[in-house]
Amino acid sequence: MKKLYFFGISFLLFVVIGQNAYAAAREWELDQAHSNIYFSVGHIYSKIQGHFNEFSAKVSFDPANLKESHFFVKIKVDSIDTGISKRDKHLLSADFFESGKHPLITFESKTITDAGKGVYEVAGRLNIKGKEYDLTLPLTFAGVKDHPAVPGKQVAGFNGTITVDRIVLNVGDEKFYKMGLVGKDVEVLVTFEALAVK
Amino acid sequence: MNNSAKRSSLFTANGYRSLIMLGIALLLGGALAVPFYYETQTLWYKVGPDKILLRAGQLAGMLTLVLLMLQIIVAQRVSFIENLFGSAHLMRWHRINGVLVACTALIHVVLVLAPEGMNNLPIGKKYLPEMIGELLFLMILITVVSSHCRSLLRLDYATWRMVHRPLGYFALVLVFIHVFFVSESFTHILPRSLLIVIFAGLALFTGVIQRTRLGRSHWK
Ligand code: HEM
Repeated sequence: MKKLYFFGISFLLFVVIGQNAYAAAREWELDQAHSNIYFSVGHIYSKIQGHFNEFSAKVSFDPANLKESHFFVKIKVDSIDTGISKRDKHLLSADFFESGKHPLITFESKTITDAGKGVYEVAGRLNIKGKEYDLTLPLTFAGVKDHPAVPGKQVAGFNGTITVDRIVLNVGDEKFYKMGLVGKDVEVLVTFEALAVK
Repeated sequence: MNNSAKRSSLFTANGYRSLIMLGIALLLGGALAVPFYYETQTLWYKVGPDKILLRAGQLAGMLTLVLLMLQIIVAQRVSFIENLFGSAHLMRWHRINGVLVACTALIHVVLVLAPEGMNNLPIGKKYLPEMIGELLFLMILITVVSSHCRSLLRLDYATWRMVHRPLGYFALVLVFIHVFFVSESFTHILPRSLLIVIFAGLALFTGVIQRTRLGRSHWK
């Protein structure tokens, strides 16, 4: 009887702890209007800024459950916007993104680690122009609070900057870099808000 | 008529013809100089064959623009011009030039688009000036095909003419909008002003001809 009792308790504990360990992290819905992926790249002496108008993100995030937290971002390359339509067309050509052949950029997180002070190292795979690269984005978790304008919902905020070498990522060869026209280091700012039911 | 009077009247007709040809040559030369003298930034960022293609595409665009303007002028059937060159001769030229306009427009479209990639076409509201060019190209094709295959399409003359005339004038409006907004060359004060003056003059000229019927009826 004692054995059976012990077995029953162990089974219950296993189920409860097991479920906790595999419980999905909290899912968040991207607030498109308040989320952006900006970039900035050097041009001779100045900086040219742009952003992507169309992208989606699946966000599961819980600082207390990083193992189950996950980010998946999908960017529509032809939504690039630098404010000059002819420049955008050039960026979409084979000289840079070749969007006709590679219409999407994706990033999927593999591991998320707490780096302290609200920063989370989001390591994952970046797929750009049909090739995959390891990329770690230091993402600052701004926090969670009740949404000031949407009753019953909470809002979470994330901000991260990273500098990538466009030539390493095959976004254009060295042609314009060697001419001294377009820089190779691209600063990327990922800034977004996501909502979830309270 | 004595010999000297004959010579001087011949000289006058020849003189006018030469003057008109000189005007056309100047217009064409000036137009073709624009992509070189007022180089666009799109050309700055093209190297090798892409640069050649884009430049050739811009030249083809300028050529199409001039040919389209001449096409509209000739279509007015101004007695003075018809007396100088001959009605039948001008009509033959109008028909040939129509095909030429379609060909140079096609060359322009292909050469301007090729350097950015044919799977990277300017479609969407962001590319409105280019989209107007696309509409213009379609209209030119419809106009030329319907004129040259009228019997094949079983279009009677009255119907064809009813469509042909507005299409021609609409093409002129569209080409002005396309060039004015798409081309960086025409952001410079001189080419921009000249474009406005030439098109305003052309609109006034066709307007006056149509209203006063100074021109003859349409070719049959
Ligand atoms: C069919 C009638 C058309 C005519 C008469 C025409 C005429 C012209 C002219 C005169 C220019 C200025 C060239 C310069 O900057 O020096 C131009 C530029 C341009 N056209 Fe057209 N066009 C036509 C159709 C099109 C179409 C269908 C497209 C396709 C989208 C197009 C795309 C462009 C572009 C992108 C430029 C700017 C090129 C650059 O500055 O790099 N055009 N066009």
